[in-house]
Amino acid sequence: MIVAERKPFEEIAVAASGFRKVLVAGCGTCVAVCLTGGEKEAGILATQLDMAAQLGEREQVFSVGCVERQCDREFLEELGPQIAEADAVISLACGAGIQFLAEAYPDTPVLSGVNTTFIGVNEDVGVWTERCRSCRDCLLTLTGGVCPIALCPKGMLNGPCGGADKGKCETDQERDCAWSVIYRRLENTGRLANLDQLIEARDHRDLLPGRQVHPAYQRRYSAHE
Amino acid sequence: MSKFSDALAGGKFVVTVEMDPPRGPALGDMDALANSLGSKVDAVVVSDNRGAVARMSPVLAAHHLIKHSQAEVILTLTCRDRNRLALTSEMLAAAAGGVQNLLLVSGDFVTLGDQPGSRPVYDLDSVQALGLASLLAQGRDFSGELAAPAAFFLGASLPVATEPPALAGIKFAKKLKAGAGYFMTQPVSGAADLEALAQLPMAADTKIIAGLELGDDQEAGPLLELAKELKSGGKASGVHLACPANPQRLAELVDKLS
Repeated sequence: MIVAERKPFEEIAVAASGFRKVLVAGCGTCVAVCLTGGEKEAGILATQLDMAAQLGEREQVFSVGCVERQCDREFLEELGPQIAEADAVISLACGAGIQFLAEAYPDTPVLSGVNTTFIGVNEDVGVWTERCRSCRDCLLTLTGGVCPIALCPKGMLNGPCGGADKGKCETDQERDCAWSVIYRRLENTGRLANLDQLIEARDHRDLLPGRQVHPAYQRRYSAHE
Repeated sequence: MSKFSDALAGGKFVVTVEMDPPRGPALGDMDALANSLGSKVDAVVVSDNRGAVARMSPVLAAHHLIKHSQAEVILTLTCRDRNRLALTSEMLAAAAGGVQNLLLVSGDFVTLGDQPGSRPVYDLDSVQALGLASLLAQGRDFSGELAAPAAFFLGASLPVATEPPALAGIKFAKKLKAGAGYFMTQPVSGAADLEALAQLPMAADTKIIAGLELGDDQEAGPLLELAKELKSGGKASGVHLACPANPQRLAELVDKLS
């Protein structure tokens, strides 16, 4: 899932200070699961902003809304009536959701209430760790289900760098070297021969903005339509 | 090909020293060191923003040493600060200035340096960078033909603390295949550090130069003993001496080794 953390309160309060009626819009999927931007967190933020406004003697009104997913047009429509009443919206969705909300309501200022951090997993209660950089050319079959792009700071593709020290990363002695983990995983599953394969330089056109059309919809969205 | 490769091929126990380009625009200090050491060692390894701290371009520093000193130069290029286009252009520039030996490494991560928020590149890893240099020798880059080939004696680094040790062998083999003709190890503190490497099947016929690093406050004695042990025991093809905190001490080390 996509993991995000809430922006510092002061930053949000300052950004919102110029608006009288502000909607705090949560998102019910990824950011709700990582306890950052769901309905509950939207309610808490609105209450905090309300208290700060009262203390600062600013005449502001904060309301709360939440949809299942801000990255989906159908769900965003549900926010229409509330947004029509607001001077600005603070979105607690991930960066994708915030942008789609701003696109759906282009006449309303949309403010970001979170910093999107990574695509990751819920490793333990209250702990999320990064696992994927959405590079568009998945290596996980070859690398034993351990991603050297997401888990090695240098994205080394053909083995560990010289900085690896007894199986730990040169950037953090607490973190396992991704390549040591890859080695052990492939060893456990009898696939060490995978490591003999030279991995060529990657195609970094993954940095171009992505667009994906499902094969069944190719005709509908083709340029010739 | 180069004097350095000839020395290794001839079975000489080589001695190389590390030299950082200046953290400023003046080359004077480097000149002085190169003039006192250049003719006594088999090569001066010009480092590339060592420790992820910005210094003068190593390509320019290498050109300068070639022009103004007796030193045989090994130019280090890291993958940290350059994408494949920039690596290609620096290799071509190096060749134009007479550089014959390269050391291609991934490079210390930026968070180990003084500007930890810098964007690291690593468009290529060290194996792929060696592959690029090998293409240049054939007059090509990843895309197509060059106007003329640029050939170098290629070197790569070898870690000494890989866990499990067999993992080091995998990258070692890939680097050999990609064109590495010699290897420099990460700094070792004793001959035992080289044992795991020596047991790898590809180590037997490979030129491996042991990295020896002297801290500014360390006595030179033990390091010199180790260098002599490696030489007499045939445990390495040479030693690479570094004293980043006080490179002036390299002269003392080199004099006592020869």
